[in-house]
Amino acid sequence: MTNNTPLWRLTWRRLRQRPFQYILLIVGVAIGVAMMVSIDLANGSASRAFALSTDAVTGRTTHRIEGGPNGLDEAVYRRLRQQLGYQLAAPVVEGYVQAAALGPQPIRLVGIDPFAEPPFRNYFGSGDGNADGLTPFLTQPNAIVLAESLAEPAGLGLGDEVVVEINGRLHLTTIVGLLTPQDNSRRRALSNLIFADIATAQELFGQVGRLSHIDLIVPDPALLPAIQAILPAAARLETAASQQNAIQQMTAAFSLNLTALSLLALVVGMFLIYNTVTFSVVQRRPLFGVLRCLGVTRQQLFHLILAESLILGLVGAVLGVGLGIVLGQGTVRLITQTINDLYVVVNVQSVTIPPATLLKGLLIGVVAAAGAAVIPAWEAMRTTPQTTLRRSAAEGRIRELLPWLLLAWAVLTAVGVFLLWAQAGGLVASFAGLFAVLIAAALLTPPTTAVLMRWLAPLGDKLLGVLGRMAPREIGRSLSRTSVAIAALMTAVSVIVGVSIMIGSFRSTVIQWLEQTLQADIYVSPPGATATRDIGAIDPTIVAELSGWPGVVQTAVARPSEVFAPDLGRTVQLVAAAGDVSRGNRPYAWKPDGVENPWLELGEGVIISEALVLKEGLPIPPPPLTLQTAVGPQTFPVLAVIYDYANDRGTIFMDKAQYAALWQDEATSSLALFVAEGTDVDKLVQEMQGAINGRQALDIRSNQALRQTSLEVFDRTFAITSALRLLAVIVAFIGVLSALLSLQLEQTRELGILRATGMTLRQLWALTLLKTGLIGAVAGVLAMPVGYVLAWILIYVINVRSFGWTLQMQLQPGYFVQSLAVAVIAALLAGIYPAWRLGGMVIATAVREE
Amino acid sequence: MVKRVGFVILLFLLATGWWLWERGGETAVSPTTTTSSFLPLLTDDGNASRFARATEPNAVQFPRDLGAHEDYQTEWWYYTGNLETADKRPFGFQFTIFRRALTAEATDTASDWRTNQVYLAHFTVSDGENGRFYERERFSRGAAGLAGAQAEPYRVWLEDWSVAETTAGEVRLQAKTEEVAVDLLLTQTLPPVLQGDGGLSQKGPEPGNASYYYSIVQQKVRGTVTLPEGVLEVTGVAWKDHEYSTNALPADAVGWDWFSLQFDNGAALMLVQIRRQDGSLTFVPDGIFVQPDGTTQLVTAGSWQLDVLDRWTSEASGATYPMGWRLQVRELGLDVEGRPLMPNQELTGTTIYWEGAVQFNGTLDGRPITAKGYIEMTGYAGSMIGRI
Repeated sequence: MTNNTPLWRLTWRRLRQRPFQYILLIVGVAIGVAMMVSIDLANGSASRAFALSTDAVTGRTTHRIEGGPNGLDEAVYRRLRQQLGYQLAAPVVEGYVQAAALGPQPIRLVGIDPFAEPPFRNYFGSGDGNADGLTPFLTQPNAIVLAESLAEPAGLGLGDEVVVEINGRLHLTTIVGLLTPQDNSRRRALSNLIFADIATAQELFGQVGRLSHIDLIVPDPALLPAIQAILPAAARLETAASQQNAIQQMTAAFSLNLTALSLLALVVGMFLIYNTVTFSVVQRRPLFGVLRCLGVTRQQLFHLILAESLILGLVGAVLGVGLGIVLGQGTVRLITQTINDLYVVVNVQSVTIPPATLLKGLLIGVVAAAGAAVIPAWEAMRTTPQTTLRRSAAEGRIRELLPWLLLAWAVLTAVGVFLLWAQAGGLVASFAGLFAVLIAAALLTPPTTAVLMRWLAPLGDKLLGVLGRMAPREIGRSLSRTSVAIAALMTAVSVIVGVSIMIGSFRSTVIQWLEQTLQADIYVSPPGATATRDIGAIDPTIVAELSGWPGVVQTAVARPSEVFAPDLGRTVQLVAAAGDVSRGNRPYAWKPDGVENPWLELGEGVIISEALVLKEGLPIPPPPLTLQTAVGPQTFPVLAVIYDYANDRGTIFMDKAQYAALWQDEATSSLALFVAEGTDVDKLVQEMQGAINGRQALDIRSNQALRQTSLEVFDRTFAITSALRLLAVIVAFIGVLSALLSLQLEQTRELGILRATGMTLRQLWALTLLKTGLIGAVAGVLAMPVGYVLAWILIYVINVRSFGWTLQMQLQPGYFVQSLAVAVIAALLAGIYPAWRLGGMVIATAVREE
Repeated sequence: MVKRVGFVILLFLLATGWWLWERGGETAVSPTTTTSSFLPLLTDDGNASRFARATEPNAVQFPRDLGAHEDYQTEWWYYTGNLETADKRPFGFQFTIFRRALTAEATDTASDWRTNQVYLAHFTVSDGENGRFYERERFSRGAAGLAGAQAEPYRVWLEDWSVAETTAGEVRLQAKTEEVAVDLLLTQTLPPVLQGDGGLSQKGPEPGNASYYYSIVQQKVRGTVTLPEGVLEVTGVAWKDHEYSTNALPADAVGWDWFSLQFDNGAALMLVQIRRQDGSLTFVPDGIFVQPDGTTQLVTAGSWQLDVLDRWTSEASGATYPMGWRLQVRELGLDVEGRPLMPNQELTGTTIYWEGAVQFNGTLDGRPITAKGYIEMTGYAGSMIGRI
């Protein structure tokens, strides 16, 4: 039985002597884990908030009868109740409203029939249900009920009036009931809901005679055919679960992208851990040699080193989880904003912290720490006592390793390329490929650095004299440590370059697309609940009035809606358009030969967006598309494929007259006006705003203003990406700092000798900064091609597979200059402290061995 | 008449409904229990005075008054009947649609769903052979075609439960649940009987404590009763009451006992008494005796005597009900004793009351006579509110 206590005591003593190194390791792990956790929490909170409010509305619903874009004829419900005698059915009319008094976020207003509700939902379930409210709830127009927790902060109570804005019109509603949810989850669920009687909801939303959908509880699937049999062609029967998964499906790619980005930070963090552990091993080589001579076994050493980093990793991971929870509060806002902009309305009240996320964070932190420590621990274990005692052993080993690293690079790159090339693995495989390529590039860093330094030494000699020769040589000589620092910095900077190029390309592609597509001068639309979707309609009299406005020479109108495509098994955005807002400038991804402007021939078929082709893996030319219309399924030939960056789930464009006939929906949601040349557009916009003032709140925007708004949404979308990029830099910076600090500590004696033999303090500073600057420069230079490759992968593989968007890659020299600057500055900053410490050191102490 | 008058039943509805609302439908949801928690809707919201009230004799006219009277606060169409198969297997059924106006003024806005009218239906089948009692309650708004009542052609319905005229003098009554269903043709044999003073049935001492009330008795029934075991052909006799009022009951009433007997000689008898909390009678409205030829005579308070022969305590509600009666009406020479088809005919929905098929035997003018009928007893489970 061996006693390991003395070994542990050794470790503890070292920790006390050199806390800084270990603190850096802990911080590295912590930041990596924190990013993961915060992204995970934000993603999770958003989808949980959505699920909660969906659950509150879904209740015990198992199935749902959905209609077309216009909802469902209420006669379907009557038939269900009367003809079929089906009792477990509840009609719903719902939509989003803005209520300034309750805050800026859109609120879901759910119109229900209280008599049909009890089997489905029990909002009125607990506490002081307020029975007096029920008569006004039913009989009084615009009566609403909401949660006390929503009303109270706004200073609202029973009997108070609330102005809600629906589709640009203001309505005065009265609070006739307050719900007091007893538990927290119910309170959260109700925090974004207003209830009204179905009559009120129909009137508020202008949906008289229509239902949004009918909720069903179907205890036995055998009942479904009978229900199906009474449904009109436009209606379809869906499971409620498919509704609840909607947000996960919609935002899956978005969430995965964020998670992958946070993983990148952890990869950089792993370099850091590897670096620190390696260094602590290298530094203790003499000690380990002595220990081995004293009879400590290889296993004991291995376990010691591994256990050390495990414990430190655990400490880092715990801190990281804590930090992640704090960061999560911020990231959740960014992520929710994007989900609201692009997908669905989500109102996240608080960050929910599922234990699984915390556990995952802890595990990943600890595993990363242990994984990064395995190689150094293995090395310490394998080395014979006498080589361990020899200082040059490590450097000798890494030189032997260089060819193998080259091989590893080649193999890993091949694996990465294969993963990226293979379609089957989907997005996860694509990201795995991206990581493989990135890690391979990191493995290539030591050989590349070695070669570069050999070249640079004579060059430096010529340019800067002896110091110019010393710096590269020292870097080349201590490759086992410098290369890790360079690799970490390179990885981080290449991620910055890659992501920057991707976002820049994305942005310029969108700008170009907006310029091509939005040719009209003035755009009119109701203020939408989300920035990319507005199902509201413009008052037809206003459409007519603005279209005939003096100076308006041409118009284009559009009506977006969600329709069901049976072949795809999901709903797709359908934009019904009359007139071409792009004046024939729309960029086509595919169109038949000889057709100049397929848009003009819309009457016969549909045009689909590239995102739909890529998302659904459609061939080119695409086959005819079947859609569920109000008169049953109809099949449309696809006339062309268009570039469109407005919806990552794909869009179908159709002639508005055809749409109106098939879906019995004449409404117009957006109006684009072309004005005569020489007209003052801003003045015209003001005049129009004056003319419709008080009739309907509409956004009337000039071309310029609309593009501006679109780009604002775009920039908001990438705010979280930028934040992640910044964190990756911080992790890299810490990595470089710790690597340089290690180097300095190791070279204390050597530098002491140099100082003793006449090196001035100035020269010492120059040497240190030259070295660190060189490290930064090498990392920055290496990051450029790697960053380019990453950008290529992000643009042509990840983006296409995630969102179905083809972007035109735009290379701006600025990104590369910037990355070089970041790398060099980070390295120089990291060099200041070691230089300062060395400068202040008494030479005699430095020369004396530890 | 008094049978089912507004205030007391609504008092129960209020109390139990309130409690259900509070409890919030935490009841397990299965396709067979769709208890609504919206009964507080059926409370007097203090604006009874703004509704029309029953004050005039001879105001009821046909067919005009077969439908709904939305300016009165409360209304019901009440069908009860005694059925049997060819091999004499006995059944009873009750099918009632209640209407309640939430406000005196109709609210008319754009949506079809907007209404101030609420409908409630009770449907029961008593299976005498197996002693099984099937009951179900439903609610709906009286709008969007979901529930309503119309005079011409006569139709009263709540979703797929309905009574509707098929030809003159004949209605089809249909109701079903997962377990039980009835599909019956009811053929009128006598003209409608105007209760009280030409259809004005006084329920209390105050003017306006009254309802408009008519009955159609001795209707011939044929059709089917569907049980879990299968479909059975049945024939029998049915009684319809239609009554509308605003705040009809005296203030101190807690419940009533209502008797409807249909004699084998073609005659019929309706009696009612309104009780106070302590069991004493606060008011005894006029009853009516219908001769086989349709001529009627009032049976006034004091001219009849009721003795309780037996009692039964409900396990469901804990309420104890009379469950055996001796009824004597001196001026008719009637002396009969009655028993329920089975004791358990208590409705345990949002309002707890006993409404069940009964069988009476005895003498009329010295000649042996039998009668089938329904008895309704409300207010016995009053103290049990909150323990459903």
